[in-house]
Amino acid sequence: MVRARGLVVLTVATLVAFACGGTTGGGGGSKGEIDIASDLPTSGADASSGLPTQYGAAFAVEQAGSVKGFTLKFVPFDDAVNGKHDPTKGAQNVQQIISNSKVLGMVGAFNSGVSAAEIPLTNQAPLAQISPSNTNECLTIALDYCQKYAGYTVTSLRPTGKNNYFRIASNDTFQGPAMADFAYDTLGLKTVAVWDDQEPFGLGVANNFAKEFQKKGGTVVARQGFDTSSKPDFHSWLNRAKAAGAQGIYAGATSASYGCIPRAQSQGILPADSYYLGPDGIGDGQCIKDSGAMANDKMYASQGVADANANPTAKATIDKYKAEHPNPQDTGAYTFAGYDCAAILIDAIGRAIDANGGNMPTRQQVIDQMAKTSNFQGLTGTYTLNAAGDPTTPALQIQQYKSSAWTTVKNIAVSTS
Amino acid sequence: MAEAVQRLRGTFLTLSFNSGLNAVGILVVGVALFATAQRVFEGGGTYFFQTLGYGLAQGAIFALVALGYTMVYGIIELINFAHGDVFTLGAFFSLAIMPLLGLSSSSSGPGIILPLLGLFVLTMLFCALVNITIERVAYRPLRHAPRLAPLITAIGMSALLEGVMTVWRGPYNLSYPDFLPENQISLGGGVTIAAKAVFVIVLAVILMVVLTLFINRSKLGKAMRATAQDRDAAQLMGININRTIAATFFIGAALAGAGGIIYGLYYNSVQAFDGFQYGLYAFTAAVFGGIGNIPGAAIGGFVIGIVFALSDGYFVTKWTIPLIFGILIFVLVFRPTGLLGMRVPEK
Repeated sequence: MVRARGLVVLTVATLVAFACGGTTGGGGGSKGEIDIASDLPTSGADASSGLPTQYGAAFAVEQAGSVKGFTLKFVPFDDAVNGKHDPTKGAQNVQQIISNSKVLGMVGAFNSGVSAAEIPLTNQAPLAQISPSNTNECLTIALDYCQKYAGYTVTSLRPTGKNNYFRIASNDTFQGPAMADFAYDTLGLKTVAVWDDQEPFGLGVANNFAKEFQKKGGTVVARQGFDTSSKPDFHSWLNRAKAAGAQGIYAGATSASYGCIPRAQSQGILPADSYYLGPDGIGDGQCIKDSGAMANDKMYASQGVADANANPTAKATIDKYKAEHPNPQDTGAYTFAGYDCAAILIDAIGRAIDANGGNMPTRQQVIDQMAKTSNFQGLTGTYTLNAAGDPTTPALQIQQYKSSAWTTVKNIAVSTS
Repeated sequence: MAEAVQRLRGTFLTLSFNSGLNAVGILVVGVALFATAQRVFEGGGTYFFQTLGYGLAQGAIFALVALGYTMVYGIIELINFAHGDVFTLGAFFSLAIMPLLGLSSSSSGPGIILPLLGLFVLTMLFCALVNITIERVAYRPLRHAPRLAPLITAIGMSALLEGVMTVWRGPYNLSYPDFLPENQISLGGGVTIAAKAVFVIVLAVILMVVLTLFINRSKLGKAMRATAQDRDAAQLMGININRTIAATFFIGAALAGAGGIIYGLYYNSVQAFDGFQYGLYAFTAAVFGGIGNIPGAAIGGFVIGIVFALSDGYFVTKWTIPLIFGILIFVLVFRPTGLLGMRVPEK
């Protein structure tokens, strides 16, 4: 706690120093500075997915450099505490972000639970917020089970009644069913055991997976939830799944909530060629480490955005990014979604500047332009954002762990009405 | 006369209240046992014994850690909150020295038995030395301070150890090599149990038997029992109190160190914060069995492990942890001194 406060003070001091430098040094024709903040988990277990996303967003800001005569600056925040994304930390970061008047928009959070803690704050500021990876449907869609399962609703998250939150990932109502369809149709599975981590995200995908898998004609067995505030012992449950005839496991969890620990513990209980399926939360390097001797090509994860490599017009930018970040660990499933989020923000800020006669726009003006985002050509897709903040044509992909990397095996376009 | 009636009525009221409570207790236990028996019957014998095996394995690790809590409490009436982290330190340290002993994640076969034995000895020694250092630095100077002071230094030591381990290896899950066989052992009649679980149980039981023999038969064990009973009298009899207390911390930590290796081998993953929560269960086991009571801690550990496995294997997993603590409250309401009671001569 004390250390955290120290960091905050340091961050503020740095911001002040930068701000002073900007004004006294003269911008060399710059009309001023506009900041784009990010809030992602960039330390610990979550860093394997959060850091590559932050790099993507930072790269977009760096590539743009400036917008309509205003210098752009990227201000990243880390919402991980002890290596795990933390809603309270996220809310603290957002307060920092809001108090910096140069920030006109933020990219984040990475996790739905963190965004749920942040949206009420950014809503009242108001500040445009766009997430590359939030998938919980209740963040943007009013469904009757939201209060019960997620603990929040669209209206409870938005005290002002107006929307300021956007995302480009497809929500859990797609991610769970997409994997269910893939498991039943492509992998030919008939019986799957399902567990969740008792968090809004994990519970959401697991329920949606189970619903669709049963609708297809499959059987869901050993449907249970685990308290993942500490590392659970999965042996008894895995044995229960085996006794119920499970051909595979679906984990409604993330690597930070021990998503792939059952994969390692299933050794000696389930055969090595049994399947292990999960959402984007387990499609990372930590999951593979945690799977131990059971890490193999029977593991599949869905990702809430399309594979940027499938988009031919994205190639030049991807190559440039990879030249700057040659380490393969620096490119994750949401790197280019992070890039797209920052790019959408910059685009909206540009239009807001124009609408304001070339002057520094207000935060509300940026939000108004965000809501008008239409046919934006991103790396991971072409985005039009609807009134709720969702992409009108979400896409996702199924990845398989193959020759030591998560590899796209299927791109899925989702049609929404 | 009136006074006698009053007293009689008071006794009667207490009695009927107690018997009412007892009746509720018996009813709750009866319903729980019936529900479990019904599920067990439906699930079949093989499944039951497999579940029981996993429960005993988890319980064996709880028991090893619980012994350290209970021994320290027995002798100086301190809840050593750092004990769970000494346990994690055992797993971390053993992971670090594996290459020195020629062990790697791909090692297998009978050739690993000797290095594995060395691993246990070195890790137990290391944890023991760390724990007596903790005792010397953070507990001994506070031996005559108010009870709350050493409790807080214990929590501080716990946080310190977690911090050191996080800085050392990061807050990630670390992979622990998998040396144990993965097959199921047949017990006849179609009943099987995981070889891995058998290894954990047997090793833990051996360590516990050695400990019990040591406490009951050796001179130092006798000194420990005497110190636990009455520190001042023991000192008058010429027992070196400081050395005896240090020995208790030494033995408790050695068991925790062994527990750390067993934990790593069984779960194949370890994280800096694992021990704190595990320590909490182990502490619960110690209180459950009767804090300060060595066989009580062992039994408490096994009982909690079995409840874990039965709940995960037959009932709703998300209710397992509330259930464990619910049982703890239940037992303590009826037996405030724990299952075996805390006041037994050998403590």
